[in-house]
Amino acid sequence: MRYIVGYTDTPAGADALALGVRLARSMTATLDIVTVLRSEARPTLVPSDAGYERFLHETAQGWLKDAAAVVPRDVPSEGHIVYAESFARGLLDVSRDLEGSMIIVGAARGGLLGRATVGSVASALLHSAVVPVALAPEGSGSTVGLNGLTRITCALGTRAGADELLDAAVLVARAAHIPLRLISLVTLDMDDMTTPPEVAERAATHAEQVLAYAAEHLPNDLDVAVLTASGNRVEDAIKHVDWEPEELVFVGSSRLAKPRHIFLGTTAAKMLRELPVPMVVVPRD
Amino acid sequence: MTTTKPATGLSKKGLSAGSVGLIGAIVIGISCIAPAYTMTAALGPTVSEVGLQVPAIILVGFIPMLLVAFGYRELNRAMPDSGTSFTWATRAFGPWIGWMAGWGLIAATILVLSNLAGIAVDFFYLMLAQIFNNPDLADLALNPFINVVTCLAFMLGATAISYRDMRTTQKVQYVLVGFQLLVLVLFGIVAFIHVANGTAFDATPISLEWFNPFAVESFSAFAAGLSLSIFIFWGWDVTLTMNEETKGSRSTPGRAATLTVIIIVVLYLLIATASISFAGIGTGEFGLGNEDIQGNVFFALAGPVLGPLAILVSIAVLSSSAASLQSTFVSPARTLLAMGHYGALPSNFARVSPRFLTPGYATIVSSVVASAFYAIMRFVSEDVLWDTITALGMMICFYYGITAFAVVWYFRKQFLASARNVFFQLLFPLLGGVILAVLFFTTIIDSMDPDYGSGSNIGGVGLVFILGMGVILSGIVIMIIQAIRRPAFFRGETLSVGVSNGAEDDALDELPV
Repeated sequence: MRYIVGYTDTPAGADALALGVRLARSMTATLDIVTVLRSEARPTLVPSDAGYERFLHETAQGWLKDAAAVVPRDVPSEGHIVYAESFARGLLDVSRDLEGSMIIVGAARGGLLGRATVGSVASALLHSAVVPVALAPEGSGSTVGLNGLTRITCALGTRAGADELLDAAVLVARAAHIPLRLISLVTLDMDDMTTPPEVAERAATHAEQVLAYAAEHLPNDLDVAVLTASGNRVEDAIKHVDWEPEELVFVGSSRLAKPRHIFLGTTAAKMLRELPVPMVVVPRD
Repeated sequence: MTTTKPATGLSKKGLSAGSVGLIGAIVIGISCIAPAYTMTAALGPTVSEVGLQVPAIILVGFIPMLLVAFGYRELNRAMPDSGTSFTWATRAFGPWIGWMAGWGLIAATILVLSNLAGIAVDFFYLMLAQIFNNPDLADLALNPFINVVTCLAFMLGATAISYRDMRTTQKVQYVLVGFQLLVLVLFGIVAFIHVANGTAFDATPISLEWFNPFAVESFSAFAAGLSLSIFIFWGWDVTLTMNEETKGSRSTPGRAATLTVIIIVVLYLLIATASISFAGIGTGEFGLGNEDIQGNVFFALAGPVLGPLAILVSIAVLSSSAASLQSTFVSPARTLLAMGHYGALPSNFARVSPRFLTPGYATIVSSVVASAFYAIMRFVSEDVLWDTITALGMMICFYYGITAFAVVWYFRKQFLASARNVFFQLLFPLLGGVILAVLFFTTIIDSMDPDYGSGSNIGGVGLVFILGMGVILSGIVIMIIQAIRRPAFFRGETLSVGVSNGAEDDALDELPV
């Protein structure tokens, strides 16, 4: 398996790289650290200059060298400089060419208190990738470092796509020998200020269904817990759940996604705003 | 898309993925020259030097530009480097002359940045006046405080755009350049219609004498005019150096450069003859000899010529200035970056923004210096636009001249190797360099006269002279400070003196042609 890390010589790039190392270690995958330079195909009023392009290329090589120095020896890694119209385009292209299994990027700066905000690159990936996309929250590179994963949380709704999502989460949890936690997000589809009894009931039912499904389908060697997240808004619900600093959250794609493509749904986007831990968005089946 | 491992260096630089077609190359060329801005800034000062013979000077002025541009292309092919003149002159003549060439380039671009922003400010308020039908608004540009503040705002905008490397789409570029050309042609034609109808301000019949460079009164007027006309073609050389990325056959860049220059020369001749026929060179209200309007002639002439359509001129000049501001910002930043990289300046200058992939630090420094320079000049000079343009011509002659000589010296072992080399590596650059050197020294000597140019002077010495000398002397001072603090570069340890061995840069051999 090859994991593609979208790298820039910025704190966000370092976050992405650290998450990449943690994931690659758990999954015994190899890392492809990718820096994207702008291809000349971009329209420009400024004539490009061969000398400057070469300078940039050399600088980017230096960045990749520094990045490679951060990666521990037990994780095989390779650096790539890619030319594309945009950063996102470059990552998608390289992921296709190298048959990457996941794309990992850092969240944009500017999120409050370490929460993730979606930058333009991540946003483009989260609406078009065909492989899972992992987002490292701001600052996670320095707070969590290269520690291994401690838990996988998988956010399930009633919508289509949950099976694929569950499979992806199980795969990682198993490989890393860590517990899996399922969060039922059914209540969160309601937009009421107070939760009416029938909704609460439905939430409970859904949680039961999820657990039943897990009991039936999930392998026995896995430690599975189920939790119902509640709150008036998605953000509140996420805030009240306890998060381990080293855990990883899986969410599915919106119903709007084309088959086998990623499309960040509204619930996932709201979760992203509050999540203090990395999030992986899985394509629709 | 191409993938390269870090170790393999330059094998493919992504240039193959994108290339510029013939039309694209012409559009870039024209937008770098920015004819609407250039004409409004340079026409007045040129008229004040050579009178009616502006068309002749435009035709002759292209020659040194062309000669040097050929040499520029040779160097760019042999040593593509973002430091251009700085790197090439260092390789040819050693660190001291190389440093000064880089300084000259930076000074010239900083002068033009401040002039560009100044023109943009004038037209911004003119456009407001036209939109709100209130002529008083245009006078706001005369208030030095409002003027400087607006100018700083423009510079801030342009810096942000350059720093973040925001780019317009190709369609927008085509539209902007096309619009600029159309407006200028319209301006020319309407001016001639006024002349024919007898409604011109000071109808002056065109005569062949206008195209005769020998009719210029004196050699110093001729030299001053020429150094201004070098400014009006400045930027054209990019069409020659776009070789690497122009798609199609090897002849595309040549054709793009030729077509660009034909379009530009025809356009300039049309505008120059039309303006002179319409307004004459007298000192009347709209006469091109009127000192009050010479720094920015379209500002004064747009209304009388186009009437209600004058706002088109404002939009054209503003958009042309904006495009030019963007392409001009790149060149001092890249040269500063190269100087930082090779240790000729603090290494901060070599910093590349990892997010935007631009020479961030160098961009901000250029912007701050250009803004400060404009703010000071606005208060010191009687006619800031005019003086900066004249000083600019001088600085272009300085660093282009050094570059031209660097061509000859760098290729000294091979310029006799073929007939082609004799022309492109010896005769053309040598002749171009000599012309520029003569222009440079003539301008220096003449500009000591307090009446030179706009007549701004400090203590009886012409401001243009003080500017030119100030730039060169401060360059020498900073160079000496750098030599003490960072001696490696000046000992030739980072960028050594060399001579061409006839080999072209490896990278260029693999480029698609």
